[in-house]
Amino acid sequence: MTNLMTPKSPQWWKKDDVKKTFILWILCTAVIGYVGVEFHVRNMVDPASETMSGVISLMRVFTWAAAPVAGLVSAICLTVLTSKRHYGDNPPAEADHEIRNSPKTAAVWVVVSGIMCLFALVAGLIVLQHDNEAVLDSQAIQVNVTGQQWVWNFDYANGARSEDLYLPVNKPVVFHITSVDVKHSFWVVQMGIKMDANPGYTTETAVTPNKIGVFDVRCAELCGLLHAYMQTKVHVVSQADYDAWLSAHAATEAGA
Amino acid sequence: MTTLTQHKAVAPGKSIIEKLNVFTALALGVISAIVVWRLSLAFLPEESESARLFSREDKITLLSMCGWFVGFMTGIGALVGPFRWLMGKDLSHSENMFLAGENMGPKRYLRYTTDHKVVGIQYLFITILIFFLGGGMAMLIRTNLGTPEGGWLHPQAYNSIVGTHGILMIVGTIIMVTGPFGNFIMPIMIGARDMAFPRLNALSFWLIVAAAVPLIWGQFIGGITTGWSAYNPLAGQAPLGMDGYIMYICIFALSTMVAGANITTTVVKMRAKGMTWNRTPIFIYGVVASVALALPAFPVFFLSQILSAFDRALDTSFYNVAGGGSGWLYENLFWIMGHPEVYVILIPAVAALMEMAPVFTRRPLFSFNVAVLGIAGISGLSVLVWAHHMYISGWAPLLNAPFMLTTELISIPTGMLFLVLVGTLWRGRIWMTMPLMSIMALLWNFMIGGVTGIYLSDVPADAFLHGSMYVTAHFHYTLMGAGLTGALASLVYWFPKMTGRMFDKRLSWISFWMVQIGFNVAFIGMFMVGLAGQPRRVEAYAPTFNTANLVTTIGAYTIMIGMLVLLHGVISSARNGVKAPKNPWQAKTLEWTVDYPIPLENFDVLPVVTSDAYGYGKAKS
Repeated sequence: MTNLMTPKSPQWWKKDDVKKTFILWILCTAVIGYVGVEFHVRNMVDPASETMSGVISLMRVFTWAAAPVAGLVSAICLTVLTSKRHYGDNPPAEADHEIRNSPKTAAVWVVVSGIMCLFALVAGLIVLQHDNEAVLDSQAIQVNVTGQQWVWNFDYANGARSEDLYLPVNKPVVFHITSVDVKHSFWVVQMGIKMDANPGYTTETAVTPNKIGVFDVRCAELCGLLHAYMQTKVHVVSQADYDAWLSAHAATEAGA
Repeated sequence: MTTLTQHKAVAPGKSIIEKLNVFTALALGVISAIVVWRLSLAFLPEESESARLFSREDKITLLSMCGWFVGFMTGIGALVGPFRWLMGKDLSHSENMFLAGENMGPKRYLRYTTDHKVVGIQYLFITILIFFLGGGMAMLIRTNLGTPEGGWLHPQAYNSIVGTHGILMIVGTIIMVTGPFGNFIMPIMIGARDMAFPRLNALSFWLIVAAAVPLIWGQFIGGITTGWSAYNPLAGQAPLGMDGYIMYICIFALSTMVAGANITTTVVKMRAKGMTWNRTPIFIYGVVASVALALPAFPVFFLSQILSAFDRALDTSFYNVAGGGSGWLYENLFWIMGHPEVYVILIPAVAALMEMAPVFTRRPLFSFNVAVLGIAGISGLSVLVWAHHMYISGWAPLLNAPFMLTTELISIPTGMLFLVLVGTLWRGRIWMTMPLMSIMALLWNFMIGGVTGIYLSDVPADAFLHGSMYVTAHFHYTLMGAGLTGALASLVYWFPKMTGRMFDKRLSWISFWMVQIGFNVAFIGMFMVGLAGQPRRVEAYAPTFNTANLVTTIGAYTIMIGMLVLLHGVISSARNGVKAPKNPWQAKTLEWTVDYPIPLENFDVLPVVTSDAYGYGKAKS
């Protein structure tokens, strides 16, 4: 994108400010890309599902893709700021440079941003398609999730009901989500899934937990007074532990 | 000849118009509200057992607020003109001159004054007031979030402050450029004597004042506990304060519709002779795009709130599932307004900085055509992207992919705006002023806001990020980091023309750096907690988020100090700043050709334009 000056000039790339901008561009791209990726990856939670790993790598790819653009803008700003600056109350002399237009630059700029846009779209669509198919998995465990002010309730196929979510590791699960009062949003943080709980409707989302541990479920849609406290835990356990927990809870239900 | 005799007939006695001002408006508004309140208390039937708990109170509250609204607008004099016209005798010449505020000194700022310059200053004043209130609420929010357990604010008060901060700032940022500068500067910039409809101009301002009272009123009857988006059905069960929000939005929507029609007409019909579209300054394009975008958006906002009021007060079921309605209907209506609305805020601020870029680099604007195309492209696409706010609502999963496409397409015209700005900076003669550095700050902040916007436009990434603090940080980067930066630069840039004095340079620098550094510290911290999983609009959070929240709070306080320095700069510079020359920046747009104080109708002889305003640089083209 260094051809911001007139393309007719024979050796525009040999001009000092172009060279300087080019070097700064490479530097800025490297710094912004690295810092941007590290910033996102380090701050994001450790993934507990493939879906979340997918989100993290998507952020990585997008950040690296955006880095050259941000790097170029930063490089031009730095070149401009480190060139001769004028202070004072009266304007400086008029600039020598008076290019009003550069159709080639504009064309390159638009085509490149169009390609990047297409790239972002395709990258997103591939992951989206994968997520959409997961909801249709008939082999998956089916859990009904009900939000109400301000607790989550989980209902399992055998009639068990709990306020903490229990899931077996490495087994796909489909959530059927609804609400009894206002809108909530069911967010399993470390698994990278979120779906609104709407009163009167049932929505679906799916995930396959791949790590044993205790993770967070939070409400992500303002739902009234105690919205901040509408959170619970999801316990991902081994298949055997899950079966034991499920039958124990089904028994209590039947006994009661 | 008849007008002359009428003029003489009216002159001795004091016309009704001369008796009305903001005090009569307040008095009449309060009286009218009380009367309607007593009447509705007396005559509204008691509710049956089956009706919703607050329904009767909602009716009374909404009616009283309508009473206030009608009383206030009557008291300020908005109805005198239409009423006279209805009686078959229009306002006399002297009355019109009085309305324009001729020879009235400071009093004209407290009246229904039609001069666009007075309206501009009035808008500036109310924008500052709104930022003061909204900023104060932001400080309460950040103070409460300084510790994980929250605590000193009751959750209901906290939720209400979050909602009120949101809606105040949305309104404040919508009017921050098109209000003060669109009204004061724009007509002079296009070489017009006033707006196309001066009385509508006064109307649009006083509607905003009339709207403010129900919002404040709402704070004392339960507050706005739903966030600024006021999602139903949550808004249906919210306390009476919600009615204040509904009235506020309805009146404000009227104001933007009136202003939008007025500004669009002015620019289309009243540009100076020779000012073809190719010679019209880019700031004008920004203002027109902004208000023209508000024209389709705000009627929908109005409608969404009217339906909300029906559900609350009349037990209808537009949004109520039990009665056959749907919360998704509200979400659609809200975001059909809500997404164009962010560009209503952003476009004029960016366009203002584009207007300043050639002035402070002493070279022509790079690619005027690309700038116009960028603004037009953003405006066009922005009405097609609303459902990206609803990816995870479950409303229509099949539509996620198309909305992802339209949303990501917006990055192309947005990129054009970047190209114009960096292209103009390239090889310019850099004049180190606060507006010039604001262009750099905008590029930086808008880059972060834009790139994080691309993450959020991606459905799978949004499934993680939606509803988290990451979103809050993202839109603050666009609306505040980019939008507010442009507005503050506009203030410093046009201050000499509006007050006749230069803005104190030292104070503008101090405030610039404090606001920009504080801003980046605050919202980088907010990105961090969002990525780590902290939801939005929470008054307490897990202890692991504490450090980053504390960073955000410290950043927020830095912004506050910077903004107070700026406020001090506005007051002290307006009072005893250095007297400004006619054209301190040696700019080439028309507003710099008029002397301060600017005469009532701006130009003795209307200017004729023969070139665009960007003929800088050594080689004249």
